[in-house]
Amino acid sequence: MTTARPTPALSLRGIDKSFGAVKALSSIDLDIHSGEVVALVGDNAAGKSTIAKVIAGVITPDAGIIESDGVPVTIPTPTSAHALGITTVFQELALAENLDIVSNLYLGRELHKGNLLLESEMEDVARQILRDLRIRVPSVRTLVADLSGGQRQAVAIARTLLGKPRIVILDEPTASLSVSSTAEVLTLIERLRDLGHGVVLISHNMGDVRAVADRIEVLRHGRNNGSFAARTVSYEDIIAAITGAVDFSTRR
Amino acid sequence: MAISGSQSSLREANRALIVDTIKRYGGLTQVELVAATGLSPATISTIVKELLGGGIVDTQNTTRSGRRAQMVTLARRVGLVAGVQFGHRHLKVALGDFGRTIVAEQQMPLPVDHRSDTGLDRAALLVVELLESVGAPIEELLTIGLAVPAPVDVSTGEISVHGIMRGWDGQQLGQVMSERLARPVVVDNDANVAALAEHELGAARGFQDVVYVRASYSTGAGIILNGHLHRGFAGTAGEIGHVQVDPSGSICRCGNRGCLDTVVSSTALLDLLRGSHGDLTLRDLVAKGIAGDLGCRRVLADAGDRIGSVVAMLAGTLNPQLVVVGGELAAAGELVVGPLRQAVLRHIAPNTVAPLQVVAGELGEEAEVTGALLLALRSTEVATDYETISTTPEGSDGTAAAEDLSLTRRTEGDLT
Repeated sequence: MTTARPTPALSLRGIDKSFGAVKALSSIDLDIHSGEVVALVGDNAAGKSTIAKVIAGVITPDAGIIESDGVPVTIPTPTSAHALGITTVFQELALAENLDIVSNLYLGRELHKGNLLLESEMEDVARQILRDLRIRVPSVRTLVADLSGGQRQAVAIARTLLGKPRIVILDEPTASLSVSSTAEVLTLIERLRDLGHGVVLISHNMGDVRAVADRIEVLRHGRNNGSFAARTVSYEDIIAAITGAVDFSTRR
Repeated sequence: MAISGSQSSLREANRALIVDTIKRYGGLTQVELVAATGLSPATISTIVKELLGGGIVDTQNTTRSGRRAQMVTLARRVGLVAGVQFGHRHLKVALGDFGRTIVAEQQMPLPVDHRSDTGLDRAALLVVELLESVGAPIEELLTIGLAVPAPVDVSTGEISVHGIMRGWDGQQLGQVMSERLARPVVVDNDANVAALAEHELGAARGFQDVVYVRASYSTGAGIILNGHLHRGFAGTAGEIGHVQVDPSGSICRCGNRGCLDTVVSSTALLDLLRGSHGDLTLRDLVAKGIAGDLGCRRVLADAGDRIGSVVAMLAGTLNPQLVVVGGELAAAGELVVGPLRQAVLRHIAPNTVAPLQVVAGELGEEAEVTGALLLALRSTEVATDYETISTTPEGSDGTAAAEDLSLTRRTEGDLT
């Protein structure tokens, strides 16, 4: 897997995290390259969301090394994650239903000149981002309340791109979406990858994962249990790794 | 109403001819209808009026060469058709009307070796959701055209060469899909329908003999002979991906040895780059080639060359006027099409009367789904039945005189 590969955009080595007596993560390794979709799969409580929170700066690990472009870093807060170009879309999208798309994209970081909001500038950037991602919405002034599930997810993802991130973490982006919305989100993930972003995709749906991921990392009881190239791995192999039918936990 | 039997059946035949012609061309002005059907302007005008009264067609004002004219299209309430394309790594679904306008479209990435049950389920759900998105009830859907990247026996809708599309063999795909949507489903090979689309709407318009090459995750071809799609006895015509190019080559999915696909399939091409470029996808290969990466350019050029040498055999046998190159690889443009063209021309007898042209497709990645729509349109029977149409033109539309067609209801006698 590592042939002709540059330094990972983000590299995690030996990450441990306990909540009291519960060991949530046990010596987890994870590499994320730019222009790559890495899927994190596993049962409930396998540690998927915990590792996402570590990367997002929501949780501080007990032990382990994090390197950004080969440089050791710590991610104590979401702000420091942001500074490293890491951005996360959590399951609850945190969009303001009563505001339009532009306002949601710029919520809390509106462009202004003195007391004046630069509405047309914000609109232009919003339109550009939506166009880059080929997101189809009626207009950038549509209220979020009027959007479909897939479009909301798309707006939430578009919002993360305002900070020009290197890595986008998507936590269950297709959960409880209709097929056409799922189609929209998966197409968007392909687009993010093609634009050069590193994408971490957390999902339960093996079909979706195998459709867009380059690499699939299986977590089981807070440990790595296999790393697979999505182009060759079968559905059965992934399920075997998730359920523990096969033990892939030996270090690569 | 005392219409003699022969006259009424002639009228019915003319009506069917006009509806078929509109179906074929999407929208035509009355003057163009005259040219396309060979019927007299007066007959056209009368029948169009009748069809309009019966709600079978719609007319709208347009201009042709600066003159006002009336465009005749099939009325949208006649219904919608769906085109579904399964690729190796994606699914595309489109809804189209009889004006051959795509009214809604959705694309979805699919995993490697995706399975038919999941795929057909998702396609059916996408069709239903797209119908909802354009506010059309399911009753408006008439037919579904389904295109797959494997040779298909169109009479049964079954894949005719096993192993090419894993997990899809031995099933009557049309039947399976139509059980989900309760609508007739026509199934065909993706290169065949793409050929249909390029022939009717794209680069091959006006050509009688055409070979459409689909260079993609695997390679195939669609053949138009004398204006008609040639599928072969059970759909394996044009399966150039399984022509042997290397007797000592690798074993192919189809079971034979050294097929073209073992050399130019996405797997083969990306394997060439794994050592130097790491893991790439076909999209990466094309994008990097366009961006100027020399290794990727070389892979694309060599693929074009290999495909071209096989296309030359097909061209030598069939003598087409035109070879159209489509599929995901063709998105690299001349990087693939150029070497392919050179290889074709190098290997066939130079025809000085009508030199063979090799061009890139005009419809790009829309060719297959457009072709699936065309397939569905063609197989849809619109009510052209005499009884279903009001025979008394209501004269509700006062713009008929816009064209130089005098409306004379009594001129039908001229035709007998």
